Amino acid sequence: MSTTRHLINRQRRLAAAPPANRTRPGPPPAPEQDKPGQKPEQKQKRDRKPAQKPSVKKPGRGRGGSVLHRVVAALGLLTVLLGGFAGWAAMEAATLHDTAATRNTALTDTARTSEVKGMVTQAVNSVFSYNYADTARTDQAAKKLLTGKAVQQYADMLAQVRKQAPVQKLVLTTTVTDSGVELIDGDRARVLIFADQRNTRTAPKEETTYAAAMFAVDAVHQDGVWKIGNIDTFNR
Amino acid sequence: MAGTKTWNPLLVAAVALAVLAAAAAGWGGWAWYGAAHDDSAGYAQTREQVLAAGQQGVQNMNTLDHKNLTQGLDTWQNSTTGDLRTQLVQGRAEFEKQVRQAQTVTTAKVLSGSVTELDVRAGKASVMVALRITVTAPKSQPSAKESRLLGELTRTPDGWKLSALGQAPVGETAPTSQPSAAG
Repeated sequence: MSTTRHLINRQRRLAAAPPANRTRPGPPPAPEQDKPGQKPEQKQKRDRKPAQKPSVKKPGRGRGGSVLHRVVAALGLLTVLLGGFAGWAAMEAATLHDTAATRNTALTDTARTSEVKGMVTQAVNSVFSYNYADTARTDQAAKKLLTGKAVQQYADMLAQVRKQAPVQKLVLTTTVTDSGVELIDGDRARVLIFADQRNTRTAPKEETTYAAAMFAVDAVHQDGVWKIGNIDTFNR
Repeated sequence: MAGTKTWNPLLVAAVALAVLAAAAAGWGGWAWYGAAHDDSAGYAQTREQVLAAGQQGVQNMNTLDHKNLTQGLDTWQNSTTGDLRTQLVQGRAEFEKQVRQAQTVTTAKVLSGSVTELDVRAGKASVMVALRITVTAPKSQPSAKESRLLGELTRTPDGWKLSALGQAPVGETAPTSQPSAAG
C-alpha cells in the first residue's frame, strides 16, 4: 500500500511541478537565488519539497490535487494580503486616534467639559469664599474639594485671611467670572480660572475692595467629584 | 478513495484563514476610515490650531519695541482681522507717536491659555489667555504685570486671527474691547 501511495504521490508531484522547472535550459534566471553551479536535478528536488506536505495528508486524488494546490496557494496569498492590510489599517487608525490633540477631550466631549467646568468653578467659589462668622462652611468645602498638593497650597494662600478675618470682620467672596477647560485626559483636567474677589471688612470701618485673580487648577476626578489637586498661580 | 467527496482539510484551513483575514481586513479598514473621518478628532485638531493662533496673537499684540515700531505694528495687524484690525489701522499713526515718545519696550509671556468656545462651521472661537507683560521704559526698572485677556478669533484664508481682544472685567466694570498692550 505504501509503495503505491508513494508512486501516486510522485506522479502527482511531477504533474504539479511547472514545466519550466523540469527542463530548465542553460543558466538559471537572475532573480533566483540558485548558485550558478547547481544542477537542474537538484533544483527540481528542492522545488518539489513544498508539494510533499499536502500530498501526505490527502493521498490518491490524482490530477485534482494540482488544482487544489493552486486554490490553496491563492487563498494563502489572499490571507497574507488581507492580513497585511488589516494590520496596516489598524496601525493607521491607532496613530490617528492617539495624538495628543485627540487624547485631550476638552470641548470635544461637551458633557464632560461642562461637568469639569461647573464642578471646578463651584469648588473654587466655595473654598475661596470666607466669612469670619461662618468659617466651618469653608473648612468643610476645603476638606471635601481639595486633595494632594492643593491642601497645603490652599492653607498657605488663606493663612493671611484666616488671621485677619476675626479682627476685621472679613468676608471674602470669590466669584469665577471666566473659566476655560484646557485639558481633559480621563480623570485629570486643567482649568484656567479668572475670578473676582470681593473683600468686605466692617471693622474698623466698612470697606469693599475688588481684586482680580487668575490661576489654573489641576483637577482630579475622585469618588464622582472633580477635586482640586494643584493650584498654579504661575509662580507669583 | 473516498477523499474526493469529503472536504480537504488543507482547503478548509486555507478558506477559514482567508475568511478570518478578510474579516480582519474589513474591520481594520473600517477602523481606519472611522479614524480618518472622525469628527471629534478633526475638532480637536482645530481646537489646537485655534489655541496656538490665539496665544500667538495675544503675545504678538503685547509685544512692541519702540526701536522696531514698523515691524512690530505690522505683526499686530497681521495677527488680527475684522473690527480689531480696522481699529489698529485707524489708530496706528497716533499710537506710533505715543510709543516713540515713551520709548517703551514691551514683551509678553503666555502663562496659560484655553479655548472656551469653538464653532467650526461659523469659523468663530473664543479664547482666554493668562499673560505676563513686562514693560521697560527708559531710566526705570522693568515693570511686570499680569493680564487676563479674553479674545475672539475668526477663521480667515490665512488661518485663525484675532477679531476682538480685551481685558476680562474686574468687579462691576463693564466689558471693554480695546486693543491692549504697550501700557
